[in-house]
Amino acid sequence: MRPVFIAGTGLACALGGDLPDCIAALLRGGVPLVAVTAAEGFDWPVFQLPRGDGDWATQARAHVRRVAAECGALATSRTAPLFVASSSLDIGEREQDASFPVDLQDFADVVAGWIDWRGPVYTVSTACTSSVNAMLAASDLIRHGEAANALVLGIELPNRYTLAGFGAMQLLSPDAARPFGAARNGLVLGEAVAASWLTSEAARWRVRGGANVVDGRNPAGTEAGAVDAMCSQALSQAGLAPSDVDLVKPQAAGSVTNDAIELDALRTVFGNALPPMVSFKAQIGHTLGAAGVAEIALLARCIEARAWPALGYALDPACEVALNQGAPARLRYILFNTIGFGGGHTALVLEDCSR
Amino acid sequence: MTAWQCVAHVVADPPATDWRDALARRLGERPRRIGLWAELAIHGARACLDAAGEEVLPADARLRVAGFSGAMSATRAATQQGARGLLPMPFGFMQSQPSQMLAAVGASLGWCGDASFMLGRDAPALVRLAQLGAASGGVLFGRVEEMEEEGAVRLRTEWWRFVPVPPRGSRSPG
Repeated sequence: MRPVFIAGTGLACALGGDLPDCIAALLRGGVPLVAVTAAEGFDWPVFQLPRGDGDWATQARAHVRRVAAECGALATSRTAPLFVASSSLDIGEREQDASFPVDLQDFADVVAGWIDWRGPVYTVSTACTSSVNAMLAASDLIRHGEAANALVLGIELPNRYTLAGFGAMQLLSPDAARPFGAARNGLVLGEAVAASWLTSEAARWRVRGGANVVDGRNPAGTEAGAVDAMCSQALSQAGLAPSDVDLVKPQAAGSVTNDAIELDALRTVFGNALPPMVSFKAQIGHTLGAAGVAEIALLARCIEARAWPALGYALDPACEVALNQGAPARLRYILFNTIGFGGGHTALVLEDCSR
Repeated sequence: MTAWQCVAHVVADPPATDWRDALARRLGERPRRIGLWAELAIHGARACLDAAGEEVLPADARLRVAGFSGAMSATRAATQQGARGLLPMPFGFMQSQPSQMLAAVGASLGWCGDASFMLGRDAPALVRLAQLGAASGGVLFGRVEEMEEEGAVRLRTEWWRFVPVPPRGSRSPG
């Protein structure tokens, strides 16, 4: 089977409209949250994409074109498979004109049109694990020689629906995202458009393995057994042992309960020798279906630029975790976890082939 | 390259009028806290496994579900609450998410594993994508639609059970 590499990434999120802007903002200490009204009398903070001119679709198209260009995909024949990963799709645009989605594939087709894409177009919608599941599917195509490249776009655009839904479920923080924090009190949503251009040709970042485990017993939270299973399966596919992992990017969105369950499960995988961890959710929020490719893009660029997110809040001493303490001296293998609504648990093993 | 065979295919277009009662009898209980679309998915998935003679889906199987409509009625109800300036009901919002359907199908089958909701205009390509890299447990693939037509809701659930063809010369156990 062919190896799978990440040839390029692109990102627009609250930190900025492209990766250089994102890194610059990260080094400046981040950007402020914006209070958004989800329903009458209900405001929550959100990490918003930079706003530009034009209506919802005009701004969405601009972000998609920019990140697709940034990852290098637009400099190709544009005939590779395209995966559009999102939990909210175009519901934000429909809120503008009170229309109703009748075909969930329509948005991916529109996105393909925005970038003049001529390859097959897929939608992946598995909540917060959407873009990692899209990467796993794209990797299947490349590994088995069905495609030489694939473009994965993770897209979560402005809308009230998601914010209202998460708010109704009492999952949102009223002030800040603090993964593993002593004062963590919920997650903060973030908007993002992110890209990952996958290839079979050697590049710095390799997707060594991955796994997706859906455990429906707890459709709104993290299941320890599923965390263990996803990590073990991903490492097995990568041909690695837990002791090979140099860095973990956990899900850890700032939930009092789910952060603790995830950490306990990671201790089952790694024992008490937990690798150092890194998180970006305090800087960009939980970008839901885009989170996988958004955080991969940010992490890879941080490592390449020798930048690192600051912590900025007190960790929960009970967690006993080394989070955002700087890049580890040895950094070759990364375990990258995302967990989502609907019992979805996904893990990727990334390799920095320059090490 | 793995060769695949379809060992079961069921389609309910539309399902029998008493399909929800039949599903409750088959499962031994009525599904709770899930929406119509997820219940329709469970109905098809369970019927397809029954047609394949399988009580349980193997742990290393893949579950793939498509459906252009998504959870139409749950999404409509939740968005209408938003349009009135209200927060959606929590279970209503959850039921509008395709991931909740995957959780419901998995839970009803007593199964945890690689489940995903994917769409594409080329249905055979979507099936082939589901099969690529799948393990010996094969693929349970469904298309579930909850469509609104001329003011009425039209339901459709169609499922396939694919398993790898054993390599030539291999023996069946027993």
